[in-house]
Amino acid sequence: MDYNSQMQVGKKNIFKRINIYIIFAILSLNTIGLINLYSATSNIASHLQGIFASQIIWIFIGWSAFMLLTIFDYRVFVKFAFIFYVLNLCALVAVMIVGRSTLGAQRWVDLGFFRYQPSETMKLAMILMMAKILAKYNAEKGLGFGDLFVPALALVVPFILTAKQPDLGTALLLALVSGSMVLTMKVKKRVLLSAIAVALVAGPVAWKFGLKTYQKNRVLTFLYPNKDPRGAGYNSIQAKIAVGSGQLFGKGFKNGSQSQLEFLPEKQTDFIFCVLSEEHGFLGCLATLGIYTILLLSIIQCSFMAKDVYGSLICIGVFALILWHVFINIGMVTGLLPIVGVPLPLISYGGSSSLSIMVGLGWVSSTFYRKDMF
Amino acid sequence: MKLNVSYNESSLREIQNRAKLLYFALGIMFLLLIMRLVYLQIIQGETLYTFSEKNLLKEIRVQPPRGTLYDRNRTILAENLPNFALTISPQYVENLDSLAAAIGKIIHRTKDDIVSEVKKSRRLNGLYRPVVLKNFLARSEINQLELLKIDYKGLDIEELIFRSYPYGDILSHVLGYTGEVSESELPKMRDLGETFIQQGDVVGKSGIEEKYDPFVRGTPGTSYFKVDARGREAFEGAETLKFLGHIEDLPPKSGLNIETTLDIDLQKAAHEAFKSNDQTGALVAINKNGEILALYNAPTFDPNLFSKGISMEDWSALVNNPIRPLRNRAIQDHYSPGSAFKPLVAVAALQTKQLTENTYVFAPGSFRFGNRTYFDHSKTGQGNVTIVQAIEQSSNVFFYKQGLNLGVDSMALYAKALGIGKASGIDLKGEVSGLMPTTQWKKEKRGEPWQEGENLSTAIGQGFVLLTTLQLANAYMGIANEGLVYRPMVVRRIFDSNNKIVKDFTPVLERDLTDKTQPYYVSPENFKIVKKGLYMVANGAHGTARWAKIPGFTISGKTGTAQVRAFSSDEIYKNCFARPKKQRHNGWYVAFGPSEKPEITVAVLTENSCSSKAAVPIVRDFFIAYGKKYLGIAVSANKEDTHGL
Repeated sequence: MDYNSQMQVGKKNIFKRINIYIIFAILSLNTIGLINLYSATSNIASHLQGIFASQIIWIFIGWSAFMLLTIFDYRVFVKFAFIFYVLNLCALVAVMIVGRSTLGAQRWVDLGFFRYQPSETMKLAMILMMAKILAKYNAEKGLGFGDLFVPALALVVPFILTAKQPDLGTALLLALVSGSMVLTMKVKKRVLLSAIAVALVAGPVAWKFGLKTYQKNRVLTFLYPNKDPRGAGYNSIQAKIAVGSGQLFGKGFKNGSQSQLEFLPEKQTDFIFCVLSEEHGFLGCLATLGIYTILLLSIIQCSFMAKDVYGSLICIGVFALILWHVFINIGMVTGLLPIVGVPLPLISYGGSSSLSIMVGLGWVSSTFYRKDMF
Repeated sequence: MKLNVSYNESSLREIQNRAKLLYFALGIMFLLLIMRLVYLQIIQGETLYTFSEKNLLKEIRVQPPRGTLYDRNRTILAENLPNFALTISPQYVENLDSLAAAIGKIIHRTKDDIVSEVKKSRRLNGLYRPVVLKNFLARSEINQLELLKIDYKGLDIEELIFRSYPYGDILSHVLGYTGEVSESELPKMRDLGETFIQQGDVVGKSGIEEKYDPFVRGTPGTSYFKVDARGREAFEGAETLKFLGHIEDLPPKSGLNIETTLDIDLQKAAHEAFKSNDQTGALVAINKNGEILALYNAPTFDPNLFSKGISMEDWSALVNNPIRPLRNRAIQDHYSPGSAFKPLVAVAALQTKQLTENTYVFAPGSFRFGNRTYFDHSKTGQGNVTIVQAIEQSSNVFFYKQGLNLGVDSMALYAKALGIGKASGIDLKGEVSGLMPTTQWKKEKRGEPWQEGENLSTAIGQGFVLLTTLQLANAYMGIANEGLVYRPMVVRRIFDSNNKIVKDFTPVLERDLTDKTQPYYVSPENFKIVKKGLYMVANGAHGTARWAKIPGFTISGKTGTAQVRAFSSDEIYKNCFARPKKQRHNGWYVAFGPSEKPEITVAVLTENSCSSKAAVPIVRDFFIAYGKKYLGIAVSANKEDTHGL
């Protein structure tokens, strides 16, 4: 294929090649994030100061990545998907070994300027890997039993590694994102039914024989936060009070008593939605969900327009990644789901997570950029 | 780069067709979330708003008691005492000035002093962190303050835990001290997987308290308060709210207890000996299995100062003191061993058959090598001496000759096998490795070849050789054990409050030098010859430590006087005490006893004491205490004369 001719096609209508809706949605979510981050960190203990400035820097880094990836051909990433995947597995193992030698769990490597969390990039590597694997199959026929072996294997290894960290939240997200991609690809009915049957049987068996007592406790804690000795039950209750007390219009910017009085844990990261809903009420929440909807619909749009299976699958993967994050995070702070450490995409504070979401969106944008090519 | 394009049009169409399912997924999930938000914010909104206004539940972290530290006979070395402290919660204070004035009268502090402390904490830690204004309130103060609580908001008397070290500065370096985790330590500890740790938690900061902190620290509990608008506890206990579910208080879990290998009586003896001899330096006493019986450094400090929350003045006095009281010299500083290194060279010389027990070597007062003259400490030298006599009289020229015969690599082989030049692996943090040079080391680190003349200085423990007091004690224990070198340890058992053993540490044999398959093999006979020399040092007619015999208790050992820098030939016999303090020689005496069946080795370093004469009486005093306790000998010191080195 001739690269030069492609570029010529591109130069003529560059604005038509960029998805304005995605850019609008990201900018809006960034703004919502900064407003709430400012409220959460402006008048409290010194150790949170600097977080606001640092988040602005991360937003810039995220945008740079997004723009570069938009122009860059996403298929290059698919080509090297296996290498990314393996390198990421190595990083996970490395972090685990380092963590082992120094008492208990560790999830990151300190690179000096920031803490690299391999489990964050693993989510991205997983999307690429799945796209690469699934593209080989014929979607019309649907996947049979044999076809599921390779995708399952690709999932199981990082799943176990992250679950062992122990980072059950990321492990589940890996499974949910991969599962969503496989299901969209179409699975034969009998395969789907048997998978459900196997899960129903294997679940209790694994529970009874496969897990040690402390692992069971971990799962129980995960399911019933009120029994969590670390007081996650308390967190859950305070989060619910914060969300509910916002009522229809909210208490106003920087006026949330729950958020301002340190009743909330980790309010700048996993519980940022509490600040939003307490200070801006139901209407604020609805507006935010509306912007997420625009973002997610645009991603589906990109998957429709993609010129090849890779592009389409990547869009589906990134869609699943963001949707599950949003659903689990808001579900968690509203007491619908147990407390798991999952950030709210593009709103929560955090370098690794906001950068990896922007990379994912960069790929989506790249498929749109290339929709008229080849 | 060639890129694949999946042109599989039918598959692509099918995928894009099925991607419409994503609309459903999005719809269902967002609908669920919106319904939940409607329930919480619209239907329950008013109720929850009331809850948030009342701030019904306040979570309080309850600090756990740290585990108790014991000596080897279960004498308590560190424990917890109650501490009634006066605290102020800045967010509830209405008129700080009048509150400060009222409190000031009771605790005898000025109003301005209190106001500035509260303001400072508010700036540093935020509004919600209580400020401790006074620890260890007396009963009468508590009564008066209780009355004040009626009129003033935000005032509280909290029962805190105080880490107490009943023996104070006797055990400071080895036990370490505790304090609130600092802001700079917090991220580091989180990196180590201590994700549960929070500001305000008490952690071990040095010594055993630091090394075994994860065991000793315990787990903080949580208690839930109902607080009213004044920030005071409305009623105690667990709170049940029908809508919100039920939470219970979580009591703190106390830390695990530790039985150390230390013996408080010996530790006291070390403290006394350094004090009565007025020296700075270090002492390590180790038993034949590598268990540390005493580890002492002079000068020392009182770890209780830190438990109380050390004042800025005390802290800067400790940190800026030029003789560094906080330093655990015994493991954190390395020194030239001087003549105390000679027995290790003797082991090498005998094993490599440079000579036998009966070989006589001529040892004059000086030795010419290359274009330099190397001196003995005695101008006349020792004449013709055997290896036993050479050790007894600490002949330099004898060992210069052995150093030349052996070469540095051969000396290093045996010295390293005895633990010189690498960290011993003791279960304390901050141990340095010291240095045992080799030809390869010099080439790599200095970029120069090894000089023949450097074999001479190495053989008498000068030059590049550096070691810690602990390493020297352990090496001599290895000689006394005739080849068994153990890894030093200070903790031998961890157990819980029900006396159930959680972890037992058994002595670890690091190396067996009598293992014939090893390159560093040394025959037991050769160890016995060296031990004869060491016996003569403490007991022979010319022994350099013969003046410090202990009647009824025979010990063997070796003295050392180590220059802290190189001196020219005319400087060498100059009166050491005429030099500036920092340039004076360090003194060593390392001894084990009883000579026939060694149970314990003691190494003493005296800094800038000019000679080993300062170290010898410390070892003697220590062995007197040891003899009394373990051998039942009522010994007294033999303080007749102080000849020789």
